[in-house]
Amino acid sequence: MHKQTTFLANVRTALGEAPQVERSKSTFPRLFAAPDTTETLKKICGRTVTELNELVTIFLHNGNMLNISSHIAESLHEAADVVVELIRTKEPEFNYVKHVIMHDHPDIAALELWNRFNREAVTLHTTFSRDRQITDKTIASFIGITAPTIGVADSATVIQLTEPGRPRSTSLLPSLHIALLRRENIVADLAEAYALLRQKSYLDSLVFISGPSKTADIEAHMVYGAHGPRELHLIVLAEPVTER
Amino acid sequence: MSKKPQSQYCMDAKKSMDSPRLQASLHSLQNRFGKGAMALWAEMDDQDMRRRVKKSRMKNLEYLDILLAELAKNVRTRGGHVHFAETAQDAIDYTLDVARKNEVKRVVKGKSMLSMEIAIDPALQEAGIEVVETDLGEYIIQLAGDKPSHIIAPCIHMDRSRIGELFAEKLGIDYTDDPPSLTAAARKALREKLLSADMGLTGCNLACAATGHISLVSNEGNIRMSTTMPPVHVALMGMERIVATLDEHRETVQLLTRGAALQKLSTYVSFVGGPSSDDDPDGSKEFHLVIIDNGRSKILADPEFREVLACIRCGACLNICPVYGRIGGHAYNSPYCGPIGAVVTPLLDGINKHADLCKGETLCGACKDICPVQIDLPRMLAALRQKLAYGSDRWNTRQHNPLEVYAFTLWRLIVCWSPLYRTGLKIARLCQRPFVEKNRMIKRMAGVASGWTDGRDLPPIAKKTFDEIWQEKHATPLPKLPVATKEDNNA
Repeated sequence: MHKQTTFLANVRTALGEAPQVERSKSTFPRLFAAPDTTETLKKICGRTVTELNELVTIFLHNGNMLNISSHIAESLHEAADVVVELIRTKEPEFNYVKHVIMHDHPDIAALELWNRFNREAVTLHTTFSRDRQITDKTIASFIGITAPTIGVADSATVIQLTEPGRPRSTSLLPSLHIALLRRENIVADLAEAYALLRQKSYLDSLVFISGPSKTADIEAHMVYGAHGPRELHLIVLAEPVTER
Repeated sequence: MSKKPQSQYCMDAKKSMDSPRLQASLHSLQNRFGKGAMALWAEMDDQDMRRRVKKSRMKNLEYLDILLAELAKNVRTRGGHVHFAETAQDAIDYTLDVARKNEVKRVVKGKSMLSMEIAIDPALQEAGIEVVETDLGEYIIQLAGDKPSHIIAPCIHMDRSRIGELFAEKLGIDYTDDPPSLTAAARKALREKLLSADMGLTGCNLACAATGHISLVSNEGNIRMSTTMPPVHVALMGMERIVATLDEHRETVQLLTRGAALQKLSTYVSFVGGPSSDDDPDGSKEFHLVIIDNGRSKILADPEFREVLACIRCGACLNICPVYGRIGGHAYNSPYCGPIGAVVTPLLDGINKHADLCKGETLCGACKDICPVQIDLPRMLAALRQKLAYGSDRWNTRQHNPLEVYAFTLWRLIVCWSPLYRTGLKIARLCQRPFVEKNRMIKRMAGVASGWTDGRDLPPIAKKTFDEIWQEKHATPLPKLPVATKEDNNA
């Protein structure tokens, strides 16, 4: 703390303030003032299915340019079909066994993937927070499945919050990342997404993901799969709605 | 004939200009990203955004002490450690101490220019710790024992065959010059390092005081790896890299990724604000934020240069600078190259020591035009030159070349007194005669003037001045020009 005191005193001297007099944020209420987002939040909640579908179109268009493979599923069963197809057709990169790791999320559980593989050797893991072997299971997995909290159409971004049972490595270590995103969780742009984030009372770590991992460090030649997943598959869950 | 010894800057610059490979890479880089960024700014819907972010950056600097205290408080609430380091040595000592306590044997690094500024790698290595760069470009540079030459494309000066040979030698793979295969080889080698490292060492692109997060941008995912897999995470942060609120963060980070690589957002933007919770299987169990001054408060105190602290280190100015575009990054001999480096390096590390950088840029203003936060680098370069010309106690700068002052005093005397100037011209015309070649150009000059003709021919001084020609051809006084009247304008 002593270091902090002298460090900040230095800063105050540089700013022409009295070095020893600590300035309090309450004296400058405008410094941390955030714009009112009530209207934005109202807009997000009040979107009709047509408007949401437009956002999906924009998301997929922008995602396409970032090499995101996208799928639209009208039911959880359809979404599961997409996942099963990916697990069947893709090959592991770092070993020879098909391990799949998934977040502890109701939508992912509802895919009932355990019921789908009767003849193939596919091992499914869920990141339950009491499991002590999650790291090893994640390293062994070639596909990681998450259900991001927010999708941003304008920048084709999914926002993944770190929560109990939803660690960061699931969307990072496997060669393939599948993000299952509900249509109603898509917002138009980052301004709306940040408004939603500000709603949260507590924010742990979080990550914005806009596409598969990539690098252009060798002669500006674009290569996908530098350190993170080389493919990002987005499944938009757009269940038909009768009312609203 | 003996030539005066050239500075390192001149020699490195010449080396770059003699390399066709580097010239081609720099050209295509500037063509794509420099022009791209200018087009992006011109097309942007929200034309006020850059001005707004600049304003918020400058405002935040004014309240820096409050913001840093708030950030520290919020990180500590989450269980993270915050250390304030006034000097580079202080930051190194603290990091080494953390490494020692955790018995760290291997450190994986996310790309950080600040880590180069404080030279932490040699200190860690001396303590017997293996240091591994994880950004592909930086990793290649590290394997080659070279230095990065661009803020976001560190190995732009190396071609694929050179990288292929390097990987064959150091990673023991068969030679290939195919970028995807080379990337895959590095991916595999680095994955092992990343998964077994004891400590992750990263920089900080932008901290948010209100929420107590640092945020880091990357495309490769190496930063996510370095912050997620090792049990200890140390983040080095320059004290000016902070915004007050999430809303400011949103706009600033978008300008950063647009300026850097024309992206609406980089592939990953990670927010970290402390150690991971106990039931979280990954994420670091210890989080240390080291906030570093190392000369920044001195810049902050000088109203002439405070603006440079608004920089968000996107590297856009490198992508348009005509000087960087020729001489490349190595000549700057600093972790910070390009126009921003030419201003910030002298300020952090001594104006006299880096006099070549202040004088090497052209003041053409392109860096100001492209800067996402419109920093007036040309103005500050001129101010630095002023310090070099007259010396400055505040910046502990001595007159760079006292002879220059005499020369300019003499020059002022001559140009202010026309008979002397005219006589001087006549003498110069006589003196230049032996140097004028058949094509009516001067190819080589003598002595100190030889530098002017090293790279180009100069036209000789004309036989008659403009004034003399005018006197000859229009000797009669001109008739008075008619004065424009209101009717004329309306006609």
